[in-house]
Amino acid sequence: MPDPIPPNLPASISRRWGRLAPLLFGGALMILGCRPNTAGTAIDAQATIEFDPSPPAVGRVGLKIVLTDTAGQPVRLGHLEVEGNMNHAGMRPVFTRLEEVEPGRYAGPIEFTMGGDWFLLLSGQIPGGGRFDKKVDVPGVKPK
Amino acid sequence: MTATRPPAPKFSGGSAAADGAARFDLLRVPVVGRFLRWRGSRTALQIPVLLLSVVMIAHAFFGPALAPKNLAALLTWVHFRGGIVLVLLFAGNFFCMACPFMLPRQWARRWVSPRWNWPRSLRNKGPAILLFVGVLFFYEWLDLWADPWATGVLIVGYFAAAFLVDLLFRRASFCKFVCPVGQFNFLGSTMSPLEVTVRDPGVCGDCHTKDCIRGRRAPGANGDGSAGSRPILQRGCELDLFQPRKVGNLDCTFCLDCVYACPHDNVGILVRLPGEELAVGGTRSSIGDLDRRKDWTILTVVFVFGALLNAFAMISPVYSLQQAIARATGLTVEWPILGFLFALALIVEPAVLLGGAAWLTRRAVSSSLSLGAILKKFSRSLVPLGFGVWLAHYGFHFLTGALTVIPVAQQAVRVATGRELLGAPRWQWGGLPESVVFPMELGFLGLGLLGTLMVGWRIASELAPERTFRAFAPWAFVSVLLFASACWILTQPMDMRGTFVAG
Repeated sequence: MPDPIPPNLPASISRRWGRLAPLLFGGALMILGCRPNTAGTAIDAQATIEFDPSPPAVGRVGLKIVLTDTAGQPVRLGHLEVEGNMNHAGMRPVFTRLEEVEPGRYAGPIEFTMGGDWFLLLSGQIPGGGRFDKKVDVPGVKPK
Repeated sequence: MTATRPPAPKFSGGSAAADGAARFDLLRVPVVGRFLRWRGSRTALQIPVLLLSVVMIAHAFFGPALAPKNLAALLTWVHFRGGIVLVLLFAGNFFCMACPFMLPRQWARRWVSPRWNWPRSLRNKGPAILLFVGVLFFYEWLDLWADPWATGVLIVGYFAAAFLVDLLFRRASFCKFVCPVGQFNFLGSTMSPLEVTVRDPGVCGDCHTKDCIRGRRAPGANGDGSAGSRPILQRGCELDLFQPRKVGNLDCTFCLDCVYACPHDNVGILVRLPGEELAVGGTRSSIGDLDRRKDWTILTVVFVFGALLNAFAMISPVYSLQQAIARATGLTVEWPILGFLFALALIVEPAVLLGGAAWLTRRAVSSSLSLGAILKKFSRSLVPLGFGVWLAHYGFHFLTGALTVIPVAQQAVRVATGRELLGAPRWQWGGLPESVVFPMELGFLGLGLLGTLMVGWRIASELAPERTFRAFAPWAFVSVLLFASACWILTQPMDMRGTFVAG
């Protein structure tokens, strides 16, 4: 049975590959070089998190967050918006709002819907302008 | 379900022709059939998927690094996988048909013609099996589900691999020998209700051109009498499946080249009994005898036991087991522990269970066949159960998170354009509740077990017509054991973790 693919095209193949290779290499470098930087954050506030119960488990959990600036002074936002997500895509996020119970101390409930690794996205409005945003990992929420 | 359907009954015509005419044929359905019969239909399906892939790649590298907010991670690990298994269950291998990886190579082949044939020593499923296991391993080790950037690298790597392999090697080498997703689809599509097959075998008996596999070239002849460089008018099957001798969906990408090439309009997409082809022995076009194909057996084992392993890796006990191994060995890195678990699940467990079943069957019916021959024969009966496990697992993610793509897309558009062109993100949109999906998962597993037992019984009756139950019993035991394992996994609390805590 004859091969339905035509035989080799002229020797220009190697020239074409020669032209293509730098493009492919350049593209690969560009992709490899553009990994988003997730290691650091520009936010200069420290978030200390406590759960009740600790470690947190699936269900309604008490959440306390203490925000302090680089000088150790409380960061006052009035309230803190919290969005909880699982590391795995495809899970609906959970939202809660923490009220400032003391200067820089925020408290409220959050409901974890599944065991595993979560992260919390904290956000708030800084008085006088600007936003506060921070991601905090919550590894190993216990299953029921 | 017929166990001993001869390999080439399509030549015989007669009742087979009447059977073919009576069967539902998707190509004869008014709108869908007309679209599929159009030669540009595959490209028309591939282009939107390719564009979607470009969006996913862009979002992987330039979008948010958080998997639940990223289209690459979400669509790859939730919608793409779930969509594949559901389309396989309800229709056929239409993902391979719409495969975006083939489009760049197709365009490139207009200018660059592949020079070599795929190496003879690699004309088996070996490379694809290694890649299949590799993807499963890296998925666990690198937590790909939680890493949009790594997911993007995987997608780009896939495009590059398909492009390079098919620009260097003739025909559909990537699909047939390399692509792990393709092999998954080939095995999964054995459970599909549709297959690309001839309508009337009698017509094939009278056909002399065999365009379905040869393709058609422009008229005229070269000086040496060969097809030479005459332009191709229509490709034949690039996976070397000769329609009259093709059995089932194995190695079929639903590209429909055979449909367009057949001068007698004798190839259709016909309905059939899912899983039937697994009970069929004998020689298949381009595949040979499955009972003699060690590579297909290994692929089947990886497909079945990999399904259990992949699901097991999502539940709490796996982390306890990993930590126990870490404490016992003093290891503080994850990959050797994962490697141990993979070896246990994909080598030791199948060797013990399937080897044991083969040994018992051999003794029970005093068969002259070797253990390996019995194992190869019966292993394919486990495909329905394996598919049931994949279906339950991927179906869970898809059904519980199907709508999450909407707010993520809304957010992506908002960030990209600064305007809410798709509306404000509706983050409360998710999918079906777990309590609704769980019975479905059990149903998928139950159907898989039923299919496995039916195929196993047919294979046993072919092996030992007088002592069918004796031949069947060990395999039924293994099947029920695997089913029970899968049910146990599903009832365990989900614990989707990416962190490895040693010690």
